[in-house]
Amino acid sequence: MSIYSEISENLQRGKAKVVKALVEQAVADGCPAAEILGEGLLAGMNVVGDKFKKNEVYVPEVLVAARAMNMGIEVLKPLLAEEGVESAGRVCIGTVQGDLHDIGKNLVKMMMEGKGLEVIDLGTDVAPETFVQTAIEQDCDIICCSALLTTTMEVMADVVKKAEEAGIRDRVKIMVGGAPVTDAFCQQIGADKYTSDAASAADAAVALCKEE
Amino acid sequence: MTNRERAMNILHYQPADRMPAVHFGYWPELLQEWAQQGKIPEELAYDNWDGSEKDIALDKLIGWDFNWSKTSGARNGLMPGFETKTLEVLPDGSRRVQSWTGVIERIKPGVTSIPSEDDYILKDREAFETLYRPKMQFSPERVDLEYFRRFNETRDWDRPIGLHLGSVLGSIRDMTSVVGMSYLLYDEDEDLFADIVDTYAEMQYQCVKAILETGAKFDFGHYWEDICFKNGPLLSPDMFDELCAKHYKKRNDLCHQYGIDVISLDCDGVTEKLLPTWFENGVNTMFPIEIGVWGDQFEPARKKYGKGMLGVGGMDKTALRKDKAAVDAEIERLKRLSAMGGFIPCPDHRLMPGTKFELVQYYAEEIKKIQL
Repeated sequence: MSIYSEISENLQRGKAKVVKALVEQAVADGCPAAEILGEGLLAGMNVVGDKFKKNEVYVPEVLVAARAMNMGIEVLKPLLAEEGVESAGRVCIGTVQGDLHDIGKNLVKMMMEGKGLEVIDLGTDVAPETFVQTAIEQDCDIICCSALLTTTMEVMADVVKKAEEAGIRDRVKIMVGGAPVTDAFCQQIGADKYTSDAASAADAAVALCKEE
Repeated sequence: MTNRERAMNILHYQPADRMPAVHFGYWPELLQEWAQQGKIPEELAYDNWDGSEKDIALDKLIGWDFNWSKTSGARNGLMPGFETKTLEVLPDGSRRVQSWTGVIERIKPGVTSIPSEDDYILKDREAFETLYRPKMQFSPERVDLEYFRRFNETRDWDRPIGLHLGSVLGSIRDMTSVVGMSYLLYDEDEDLFADIVDTYAEMQYQCVKAILETGAKFDFGHYWEDICFKNGPLLSPDMFDELCAKHYKKRNDLCHQYGIDVISLDCDGVTEKLLPTWFENGVNTMFPIEIGVWGDQFEPARKKYGKGMLGVGGMDKTALRKDKAAVDAEIERLKRLSAMGGFIPCPDHRLMPGTKFELVQYYAEEIKKIQL
C-alpha cells in the first residue's frame, strides 16, 4: 500500500495522530506536499464526503476525519506555500446574524477544505455587511451563509441585497444552507445555490469556482 | 370525557368524543411578543414552562386542552450540576460560559438562538472518574418520595401526565458536545463513552423505579433525546443501537410492569433511522414529528410498524405564522392522519416568534372538531 493510500485510509477512520505521523513520514521521504495533500488527505476526505452524502457515514465520522485532515494540513502548510500550491477557490462562511448555531456551518467548512478550497470562517452571528466586506477585501469567490432558525434565515436575503448594493454579484456567488432553508427559499431571495448537506455544499462550491 | 380519557382512548384506539387540542409550549420570545401586542397578560410571558400554572392559564386563554410535555420525574441530571460561570468575555461582547453540564458555550447578549459549543471538559477517563461519575450516582434526594406518594391525590386527573424517563444519549451529548461525543466515540475511547452511557442510564433507571414503587399513577412515559437533525441521526444507527437499546428496554420493561404502555420520546429532526431501536425496545409514540422544518413524517412509520406505532405531533407549526387558509389546509391533512387512529395532532415544536395569536386560537378551536 502506498503511503498516500495509508494516509487516506487512516484519515477515513479519523486516526488523527497516525495521519499526522504518516504525513511527516511522507515529507521526510521527499514526497511533494501537493501530492500528499491531493492523493492522501483530500482523497480520503473525498471518500468520507461521498459516504456522508449517501448516509453511509454520519456526522461523527466527518468530524474525526476532518480533525485528522487538519492535523495533516498543519504539517504541510509551510511546504505548500513554498511549492506555490493554489487553492481551488476562496470562500467566506458564517452563521447569519442572530444565530449562534455552528455545527452545520463547521461541517460545511470542513468539507470545503477537504475539497481544497480556502475557507475564511467568520464565525456565528455574522452581519450581512461583514459577509460582503470580507468577500471584497479577501477576494472571495463565494459567500456561504448558514442558519438554524426560521427566524434568522431571513437574514440571508439581506446578504444577497447587500452584495447587490456593493456591486459584487457578477463575481461572487452566494450559497445558502441550514435546517430550515430550502431550494425554493434560495431562489426566492436570489441566492445562487442551496444544498441539503455539507458534502454536496462542498461539491457545489468547487463547481461554482470552476464556472468563474 | 376528560382530556386524559380522550387522549389515552385515542392512543389505545378506543372511542373518544372529540380530538383534544394539544400543544408543546412556546419560545419565550413569542410570549413576550404576544404580551407586547396586548394579546396575553405580561405576567404569563415570563417563567412560563410546560405544565406550569402559567402554562395552564395560557391554555384557557387560547383554548388548548393541555400541553403533552407536562411530565413529572426525578432530579435525574448531574447532581450537583457544574457551577454556571462566565470564563471569558470576548471583544464582541459574547461570553464563554461553563454550563451546568460542563460544556463551554458561547452566548451573546441579545441573541437568543441555541448557543454554540466551544469546548467541554468530559474528554477522558480521568475527567469522567473524578468530575462526572460522582455526579451520576443514584441517591435518595433525587426523588421526592413524599410528593410521589401523594401524587394520585394531588395530580390533575383531567389531563394526561407523563412520567419523565430521562434520556439515554441526549443528556450525554449535552455533556460532551457533538464534537466531543464524536471524538470519544469514534476515535479516542469508545469504551469510556459506553461506560458513561451505562453509568448515567443506571442512575436514571433507579430514579424511575423509585418513583413507580411509590404507587404514583402516570398516563405515559416520556423521554427526551434530540439526537437527530435535518438529514437524520447524529451518529450511526448501529452504534446508537449498540449503546442505547438495552437501556430503553430495561426502563420500558419496568414501565410496562406498572401498566404504562404509552411511551413517547421527544426527538427533533428526522428520526426514521432510529425508530427501529426505539420501537423494538418499547418506545411507541413519536413526538413531536417535526414535519414543517425538517420533513419528519408519521405516516411512513405507521405503515412500517403498524398500529403499535403511535404519534403525538406532526402539525406544521409554520402554518400558524401564515393565515387561516394555511391552517385550514393543515387541519385537512391532520384529519387524514387522525383517521388512522393512535395519533393526536400537536404543533411540531414550540411555537416560535411571528406566530399569530388569533391563528393559534383558531387552530385550537378547529382541531377539536375533528370527528373520530
